[in-house]
Amino acid sequence: MRRAPALATLALAIAAALPFLIGDAYIYTLGLTICVFAVLASGLNLVYGFAGLLSLAQVAFFGIGGYGTAILVVDHGWSMGPAVLVAGVLATVAGLVVAYASLRLSRHAFAIVSLVFSLLCVIVARDWVSLTRGPMGMPGLPSPTIALPGLPPWQLSGPRDFYILLLVYAVAVLLLLYRVMRCRIGRTLLAIRQNEPLAQSMGQNPLAYRLFSIGLSAWVTGMAGGIFVFHLTIVDPSIFDFYYLETMLIMVVVGGPGSFWGVLGAAVFFSAIPDLLRFSADLRLVLYGLVLIAAVLAMPGGVAGLLRRRRLRRWREARR
Amino acid sequence: MSGGGPSNKDTLFAAQGLGKRYHGVDAVADVGFEIERGSIVALIGPNGSGKSTTVDCLTGFQRADAGRWWLGGRELTGLSASRHARAGLTRTFQNVRAFDEMSLLENLCLGAQQRDAGSWWQAFTGGPAERRAQAKMEARALELLEMVGLDHYAEAPAEILSYGQRKLVAIAASIMARPDLIMLDEPVAGVNPTMINRIEAMIRALNADGVTLLIVEHNMEFIMRIADRVLVLASGRLIADGTPDEVRRNPEVLDAYLGRSRAPHAV
Amino acid sequence: MNVDFVLQLLLNGLILGLIYALVAMGLSLIFGVLEIVNFAHGEFYMLAAMGCYFLTAGAGFGYWGAVVAVTAVSVCVGFVLYEVLLRRLGGRDFERSILLTLGLSMVLQNGALYLWTATPRMTTTQYTYESVVLGPVQAPLVRILAVVLAVISFVSLYLVLHHTRVGKAMRGVAQNRDAALMVGIDPRVVSRLAVAVGVGLSGVAGAALAPVYSVHPLMGFAFLFKAFAIVIIGGLGNVAGAAIAAVALGILESLASGFFSLVVVDGLAFVLMILVLLVRPHGLFGGGVRV
Repeated sequence: MRRAPALATLALAIAAALPFLIGDAYIYTLGLTICVFAVLASGLNLVYGFAGLLSLAQVAFFGIGGYGTAILVVDHGWSMGPAVLVAGVLATVAGLVVAYASLRLSRHAFAIVSLVFSLLCVIVARDWVSLTRGPMGMPGLPSPTIALPGLPPWQLSGPRDFYILLLVYAVAVLLLLYRVMRCRIGRTLLAIRQNEPLAQSMGQNPLAYRLFSIGLSAWVTGMAGGIFVFHLTIVDPSIFDFYYLETMLIMVVVGGPGSFWGVLGAAVFFSAIPDLLRFSADLRLVLYGLVLIAAVLAMPGGVAGLLRRRRLRRWREARR
Repeated sequence: MSGGGPSNKDTLFAAQGLGKRYHGVDAVADVGFEIERGSIVALIGPNGSGKSTTVDCLTGFQRADAGRWWLGGRELTGLSASRHARAGLTRTFQNVRAFDEMSLLENLCLGAQQRDAGSWWQAFTGGPAERRAQAKMEARALELLEMVGLDHYAEAPAEILSYGQRKLVAIAASIMARPDLIMLDEPVAGVNPTMINRIEAMIRALNADGVTLLIVEHNMEFIMRIADRVLVLASGRLIADGTPDEVRRNPEVLDAYLGRSRAPHAV
Repeated sequence: MNVDFVLQLLLNGLILGLIYALVAMGLSLIFGVLEIVNFAHGEFYMLAAMGCYFLTAGAGFGYWGAVVAVTAVSVCVGFVLYEVLLRRLGGRDFERSILLTLGLSMVLQNGALYLWTATPRMTTTQYTYESVVLGPVQAPLVRILAVVLAVISFVSLYLVLHHTRVGKAMRGVAQNRDAALMVGIDPRVVSRLAVAVGVGLSGVAGAALAPVYSVHPLMGFAFLFKAFAIVIIGGLGNVAGAAIAAVALGILESLASGFFSLVVVDGLAFVLMILVLLVRPHGLFGGGVRV
């Protein structure tokens, strides 16, 4: 793990150089999938690995971002940038409501209510036809234009452009999350997860920290959804597909909850693997389910947890 | 302050009429006492007499059904656990707690940050003010670790420590924020005699430094050595309040303990 | 709008609510005794319904034969589930228990999708085309039988919990784990039985509903949404509370379906759940197991 920052810099350099080297749309599609899942998994890692809350609403935040952006752009004529930001805020508000209502009871209630919220979103997307256009969704989203001051407007078309945009977005989000996780806020979140009463006895307010982590996570996840639907050029109820949630969970659990680099590594690995396992999507999810069960039973701390245990053994030996 | 509260300016902490019921049974009823600034007060009593419930209520970890309490003239009744800590009243726990996966240094610094560190924005941006605050907290943490002889484990995760060492770290963490009053819940229970001496030395050093302590403990020898004043609880009621010698000779206290000693799980 | 229409809605709501109750009570019982939220619970309901379909369509079973066979197998599945997976979790591993059962749910649901595709199937039994006339309203016989099955299950569950030693032990563990362990109750026996009974109840629910609605691999998933909301509304771990909340929700949904659009009907459970959490966080009937 100590070499992770150097490795990441190298990977980033290659990723940034790609658009100048290759014209293959397939590579860009794979690359932008990795970027999206790196954001989704790291967002879940902040909530689950740091704040200790198993949020099953992440897929809801992703879809709310997607639908929100699409509705603002198509029905209200907004441009993409502000629409993405506002849709992200919408996801944050949803996350705060779910978290505030359920955390008054317990962490148990939070997990249940967050799942129920995700299921509700599927229902709303499918049945609230006047808002969401129902099961057919909103196809043919326009290719967006980004206008930055001082630069000519950039009309995004094709995987290459979306790859560049999502790479920039993912790097920005990962830097933000890395900073939050590594500073005092992240340490306090870890402390609350490890021993809530002790943290309270030290004057920390667990609810405030937990709401913060949910809100931030929902925001970055929602904005990722908002950008992603323009790459798909359609938003329909399948944006709330539990495939996204299950994949995020696998990435965090196998990578190691609470480990920034572990989860990032797992996100890259599991985003690339569907292209290697070219069999039916159903069987792939069966396999993911088995991986999840095996990971929970055999290595509770994920890959990062195994490394940590080795370090612990060294301390124990030094003690003798 | 309205409706009562501490009368004397030497009084640091006062509680009045504290009550807590479980399933219709009084766990604590009408408990009231005051703690003088700079003293070490012990709270003793047979198993199930309501000691831990008293501490839990007075530190905001359980909601009291009745009663009011003040620290330094400020009423704390009904505040959350974290607000009690912020007001200057910290505690340790009977089943010793630590942030197991974090280093001792991080464990202690967490105890100080509500007092010494700045806003979340300052934490996020990590400017010079944040670095100064961090350095200050770490210096104090190292000083305390040195005092308890664990400074060479500063970077080690707390989970490698022995039971007794964890108790020392817990006490050290509880004073990082320089509280006015600490409530220690069974600081020497299940700890070997050498370690008891170290914990006792630490408590005396803290007290000499001006910290006021309330200690819940079963170990009579330890209490009689260290306490200025002893409060005795039996069946949720305060039955005695005096110097160690007075309490030792109080027939009601003997009754409470001996009456219980015929039952299977006596002290 | 007329009275008969409302009566019809009430009857449909009652049937729906009783089926909700079967699933939600099992979920609540397992939570009360093991402190585990079984996210795979809906899949057992789905598998039971699929099993019922295949037994009647393929293996020539009659209605009652299929119901008994499916319920018996569900109870056995519950035993196996506890012994193979849930036993390995400690009491404090709440998040791990969710991940574990979620993984199991992924395997079962997607496995079913792979084997049988998402196509809905109709279960036909000897009672499918018969109806019962009750005064002004009429109901298909299979719906009435679903009510009968639900009531039989409630009565048996009540008898087991109140009049058998192991049932009393189960209530004891749910009410006060430490005290129950101290008086010598074996937590493993009790937990195993709770999971078996819980999964068995969802088996009855699947078998009872298979002839009423179409069956397909995603049916459990949709049902779980309601079941979880009910468990929260009734109070986590409160089995009787879950039953009451389930029947109430079934009736409310059925009445709402007569007058409002589908999204209102399906969103009702969620809105009620959030309201209950905000007003009475421990559920309408309080947490902790009361049976």
